[in-house]
Amino acid sequence: MSKFLILLKENYKQKLKAKSFIVTTVLYILGITVFFFWSDIKEALFAEQPDEIIYVNTTSFDVGSMLEDGDIVWTQFASTSDAEQALKSEEYDAAIVFSAENSTLAVNLLSLDPLPLMMQQELSANANTIGQFYAMDQLNLTPEQSAQLVNAAPQISMKTLNEAASDGKSEEQKSAGMIVSYIAGFLVYIFVISFLSIVTSDVASEKGSRALEMLLVSVKAETHFKAKVTSIFLVALSQFALLFGTLFVLLKITDGGAKWAMVSEILAELHGQYLLYVAAFLLITIFLFLIIGALLGSLVSKPEEASQAMMPAMILVIIAFFIMVTATSNPDTLLVKIGSYVPFTAGMVMPMRIGATDIGALEPLISLAILAASTFVMYLVSLSFYKRSVLTYSTGGLIQKIKTVLKVTT
Amino acid sequence: MLVLQNVTKRYKDFTAVQSLNFSISPGEIFGLIGQNGAGKTTTFRMILDLQETTEGSIMWDGASIKGVNRDLLGYLPEERGIFPQMKVEEQLIYFGQLRGMSKAECKKEADYWIERFELGEKRNDKAETLSKGNQQKVQLIASFIHKPKFLILDEPFSGLDPVNKDLLKNAILLLKEQGMTILFSSHQMDNVEELCDHLCLLKRGVSLFSGSLLDLKKQYGKTKLTVRTQLTKEALAKLEGVKSVKEERDQYVLTLESEQYAEGIFDVVSNGTYIEKFSLDYLSLDEIFKDKVGGNHV
Repeated sequence: MSKFLILLKENYKQKLKAKSFIVTTVLYILGITVFFFWSDIKEALFAEQPDEIIYVNTTSFDVGSMLEDGDIVWTQFASTSDAEQALKSEEYDAAIVFSAENSTLAVNLLSLDPLPLMMQQELSANANTIGQFYAMDQLNLTPEQSAQLVNAAPQISMKTLNEAASDGKSEEQKSAGMIVSYIAGFLVYIFVISFLSIVTSDVASEKGSRALEMLLVSVKAETHFKAKVTSIFLVALSQFALLFGTLFVLLKITDGGAKWAMVSEILAELHGQYLLYVAAFLLITIFLFLIIGALLGSLVSKPEEASQAMMPAMILVIIAFFIMVTATSNPDTLLVKIGSYVPFTAGMVMPMRIGATDIGALEPLISLAILAASTFVMYLVSLSFYKRSVLTYSTGGLIQKIKTVLKVTT
Repeated sequence: MLVLQNVTKRYKDFTAVQSLNFSISPGEIFGLIGQNGAGKTTTFRMILDLQETTEGSIMWDGASIKGVNRDLLGYLPEERGIFPQMKVEEQLIYFGQLRGMSKAECKKEADYWIERFELGEKRNDKAETLSKGNQQKVQLIASFIHKPKFLILDEPFSGLDPVNKDLLKNAILLLKEQGMTILFSSHQMDNVEELCDHLCLLKRGVSLFSGSLLDLKKQYGKTKLTVRTQLTKEALAKLEGVKSVKEERDQYVLTLESEQYAEGIFDVVSNGTYIEKFSLDYLSLDEIFKDKVGGNHV
């Protein structure tokens, strides 16, 4: 077995056995499981009583048949005073009073204490719907006319005059792309943050404990660097596999496969090429930040300095994440466009643009090429610098450490 | 054979090692001594090709050290260089495998040395749970488990109690018997004196002496005189050729200007009668070291 493989295997094994890896993986899996079974858990642990709502109807319109049931139990009272009396006895949560006022429907909401937002919104939605039907009733429309008004939403179709861009995405495709891109971006964010931290701390700890000196007598610094980055990349892939495996199983088994059908529907809206892009951006971005993390770890003298050293890389990741978040409200801004080409932010931002905008075929390719080329250049630069920094011990901030490395090795 | 010729290491305006020359014969134990910052670790790193030399050459068996198979070299760094989270046996197997040994070979060697260093009960303990001395033992085994031809030990005795020091000394002598060439540094001069055939004394990167221990001692001559006498310290200090007198419990240690004064002093001290102790010796390495590095020799 080559020395690279021995280092790779041992480091991979150590990281998989590390308590921090086991704990975070279990927590992620637990989080996913709780998410999938939340309705069952909620029902089992926090069985909620349906809301008891009174309605008082002083109009001739049949309000009762139009009230939506959902989680509400509706009880009709004859008068407002009776309703108020019942509310004061705390047997009911709220009361809604319908009355006629100049051919429109007036609605009063009564409650003993201020209502929770969700209940307020639910009652308002009910009142709005009933108000529309009440207005139609007042106009003495025929059933056909009423149906026409209810189904009055316009049929929207799109036509792009520029033939080169005529295969634009539908709104559904863009929405699906945005959802998947947001999830992918969030994954990049979480994985980059956690594995950047792992690789930086790992190199810093080996350097600080002087174990690196022992290693570097038998293996070259570049072999150590490659093995370190690759092994942690494999750990990241292993965690991916575990999480996606769990996710897949849960999607398949919960709700009789209904959730899997929903996800399949979203994925069907997306091109296979898009998913390939997402995977490529995700993996290359993680690799890029692992390289940066190993380099930063090699600069510190003590393991305690690792968190300080990784701060610049963390800031880059956070900036990328925020650009991606702004893209969820408008993926066509200049900031998003610029961010989709910058190697440190492209991994999170470009998938959003590919999924949620009618971006040309060339732009993602250019961005991916820039990212891949930057990662390669960063790899070469880091490799060269790592050889010089990994056995140099110095005090001071990051800039001071870089200066010291340059001073003592050139 | 290791040969350093005119080896220099400069960092811009600072010279860590200046024109260093020495050679180590096969199967020899060679001591590199000097205060902290004298350039010992830098020299070791240059030999191990962990740092570039600014000038000069380092040759192993007639070829540049850069081209030498790294598995022929072994290194024990000055500070603890083991993985705190790894178990003792795992650690030794890992380092052995990195030096090209099979797992079975590593296991066999690890078993032998674990027992020899009385670490049997600790073989499955994590390194971080071991005492400083035991960690040093593990690290030492890791440095030579692959039976290198040339072994560098940077402060191998630091952190060891007298019993473990003896254990380690015996192990080093055994490695020497097996034909290993050993270069080592230590601040404890008695260890250097006991183990080394030849040495190099460094001060601020400059070699003050390089050669055999006996030659170094001969440079000073037999100028250390220990006597047990009725004479007072003041009376001894007035004798011809006496540079200084130090009282040590029931005896005096005199430093002479040269060996030739000893006979005259003997006549005075004995005065033709019985004398309990009169011993003329070379200075100890510790005394020479203090004189050399403490004086203005550079």
